[in-house]
Amino acid sequence: MNDAPSNGPAPLDVRPAKKSITQRLSLVWLVPLLALGVSLGAAWQNYNDRGTLVTIIFENASGIKAGETTIKYRDVTIGEVEGVEFAEGLAEVLVHARIDKTVAPYLDDDAQFWVVRPDVSVRGITGLETVLSGVFIEGNWDTEADVAQYVFTGLETPNLTRANQRGTTVVLRADDGGSLAAGAPILHKGIQVGYLEEPQLSFNGRQVVVNAFIESPYDRRITTSTRFWDTSGFSVSFGTGGVSLDVSSLASLIEGGIAFDTVVSGGRPVNEGHRFDIFDDQQSARDSLFTDPNAEILEVAVLFDQTVSGLVEGSEVRLQGIRVGEVSDLSAIVVGEGETATVRLQAVLSIEPTRLGMPAGATADDALVLLSDLVTQGLRARMVTGNILAGTLLVELVTIEDALPAIITLTSGDFPVIPITDSEISDVAATAEGVLARINALPVEELMDGAIDLMDSIERLANDDAIRATPESLVALANETRALIASDDIQSIPRDLREVIAGLDALLAEATEVNLISDFDTAIETANQAAINIEIATRNLPQITADIQQLTNRANSLEFEALIANAAATLASIDSFIGTDDAVALPASLNGALDEMRAFLAEVRVGGAIENVNAVLATANQAARAIEDAVATLPALSARANRLVVQTEAVIESYSDRSRFSAETLQTLRDIQSAADAVTTLSRTIQRNPNSLLTGR
Amino acid sequence: MGSAGHDQALISARDAGLVACQRCGQVHAVQTAICDRCEGTLRSRDTQSLQKVWAWLIAGMIAYIPANLYPMLLTSTLVERSESTIIGGAVELAEHGAWGIATIVFVASVVIPMGKFMAIIYLAISVQRKSRENRHGRHKAYEAVEFIGRWSMIDVFVVAILSALVQLDTIATINPGIAAVSFALSVIFTMLSAQSFDSRLIWDADRTPQ
Repeated sequence: MNDAPSNGPAPLDVRPAKKSITQRLSLVWLVPLLALGVSLGAAWQNYNDRGTLVTIIFENASGIKAGETTIKYRDVTIGEVEGVEFAEGLAEVLVHARIDKTVAPYLDDDAQFWVVRPDVSVRGITGLETVLSGVFIEGNWDTEADVAQYVFTGLETPNLTRANQRGTTVVLRADDGGSLAAGAPILHKGIQVGYLEEPQLSFNGRQVVVNAFIESPYDRRITTSTRFWDTSGFSVSFGTGGVSLDVSSLASLIEGGIAFDTVVSGGRPVNEGHRFDIFDDQQSARDSLFTDPNAEILEVAVLFDQTVSGLVEGSEVRLQGIRVGEVSDLSAIVVGEGETATVRLQAVLSIEPTRLGMPAGATADDALVLLSDLVTQGLRARMVTGNILAGTLLVELVTIEDALPAIITLTSGDFPVIPITDSEISDVAATAEGVLARINALPVEELMDGAIDLMDSIERLANDDAIRATPESLVALANETRALIASDDIQSIPRDLREVIAGLDALLAEATEVNLISDFDTAIETANQAAINIEIATRNLPQITADIQQLTNRANSLEFEALIANAAATLASIDSFIGTDDAVALPASLNGALDEMRAFLAEVRVGGAIENVNAVLATANQAARAIEDAVATLPALSARANRLVVQTEAVIESYSDRSRFSAETLQTLRDIQSAADAVTTLSRTIQRNPNSLLTGR
Repeated sequence: MGSAGHDQALISARDAGLVACQRCGQVHAVQTAICDRCEGTLRSRDTQSLQKVWAWLIAGMIAYIPANLYPMLLTSTLVERSESTIIGGAVELAEHGAWGIATIVFVASVVIPMGKFMAIIYLAISVQRKSRENRHGRHKAYEAVEFIGRWSMIDVFVVAILSALVQLDTIATINPGIAAVSFALSVIFTMLSAQSFDSRLIWDADRTPQ
């Protein structure tokens, strides 16, 4: 090796050949280059991907935090708030945000931003996710890229209509925005098909204008014939048609709402932003449907010389009960000049010519001509009561048959004037007052006093001892009556009658034997007739006891007794005749006697004496017949007596004490009994002495 | 200047015609190419050492930039989502009054890496200028850099552990950010840079001009 440096050749300065720079460079250099490359690449990409910076102007930045609050479009995060600062003058808050580059070109002039916060309303809860995550900014724009903008004014309240939502926005006008609220539902046949945007005052400040968004496909239902009406809350209308209560959905009850309907066809489709009026209620909306808003309206005036209180703008104008228009204006005007000047109340009637039955397209002038003709025929205007309770009035055009001639005057005022006639106003107040006055005049107190007196009397009567004793008296009477009926006398009547009948039977048998039966029959007939009379009288017994008493008395005392006496005498004669020794003992000479008798009878017949005998016999016969019938009717009589007793008992029960009537009844019964006894006696007598019928003894 | 005088007395293995195996420490004659014991390549000096040092160092420094710019931890809880960078985290801790932890984080994440960069740059430049100043001190500095290098990963470990533990879905989640990867890379590159430095070059300064 190299161990002699001093005496060897000069040490070679052996240097390695200079390597080329590529050889000298270490491969490790690739690492920092790579790192640098990656870093630069990442940085560039980061820069390149950085979103577009936009500025959104809000009134306040409640809940917005730089670096945290995101910006969403259709719930996809597309950016983030980078900074929040005040604008100059501290009037506004500028929110700087980065929006994804891919989205930024779509942010044109229709882009809208608003802050999504939790919202609880009748329609539901929205933005609940922001409770935990904090608010976020939501943006909305259409899907067409236009001239990109970088500064936007944020909305304070969320825009309900998404720019890409399919539907139609129409403009609704209302006189009063009290029932209109942003987000209030728009109902069509009860289902929600859209909603209202924020109501705003119209340009001239007279009306409230609100955009209404109708979702597709329901927006196809909207034509120029569509009518919108207010369904907010509930409405109680109290008009000439009576009371009607309308309540819509609960949400619209609280929040208000608008409903629409297209009843008639033929409307033209509407464009975006078509203007509609909001009617107060469905009825007026529907009524207006039949009014072509473009149709000509004939305005005529009516001058009333009396109060028009109760008549309002919008009151109906009726022709023969059909609505033809409405009162469009009410004012006072001065008619005449100087001393003749009077103040009249002018009602301007807007009359629709088509409703007068004129063809479509009829002009106001045509209608005026028609009205003029009608007025010359007696058409007059008058106020009539529309609804008594509400006190509303309406104007009626009525034809008066014998009206004084009048014409439509065109001179006074701006409108042609229709002559008037007496109004028919029923003043409910006056009527009600009259009714109340009449009620007031009723003698209610006297009536009450009388009623009280009556009750006192009844009470006193009920408390009276005599009244209380009445039931006992009735019981006693009933007992006596029962005893009377149960007495032997009464019960013996049938037996006596049987005896009478038997006696009569025997009598008749004997009478038959002596061949005088025919005459006897005649006598009996007479008796029967008498009995019939008795029976007839008897029929009246229940009602007229006195008659039967009288009859019985008569029968008992006079004719009947005389008859009985006669009959008894006759029978006795017959009896004696039959019972004579001559008749019994001399049968032989009987024939002779009979012959003589016959001769005698012949003589008698010839001599006319027979008539007397016949008359006597006829009389006896009648009496006997009467007796027979009387005997025959006696059981019935007895039954009637029984019934009579029963009825009497009922009658007695209806009386409080033993009246004179009762006594008379008892007397009557006794009389009947005695009559029956008399008949019995008669029968026995006849039985015993049948001859007495003939002989009169 | 005691050390300087001491330097004069030093004699390197190269001066003595020897070369030590970097792997097993066996000493060979300077011409020997392969270690007798471990068969490792014997080189008296790594001529490309400085290149590697610089390369790794630059890579480490490049990686250190995003490590500080980007968030280290992505913490998302139910109500909040936060990203914290290294410095931001330390400042936040300090604001909460946790000065101790803030100091640890700051030292481990900022001071030590920066110090390493400084130290390595200083060593590399001094070697390139063949400075003869303070060779003992520089060597100790090199030792310190190499020793401390592995501990720089403490931040990355914390992030890794947290990310693995806190994965409670929506309630709370911690994810490592880009900075964690960058920081880990930066540490790795710096360590490689330190390892690439051939500390024997420190002692060659006074040889070559002779």
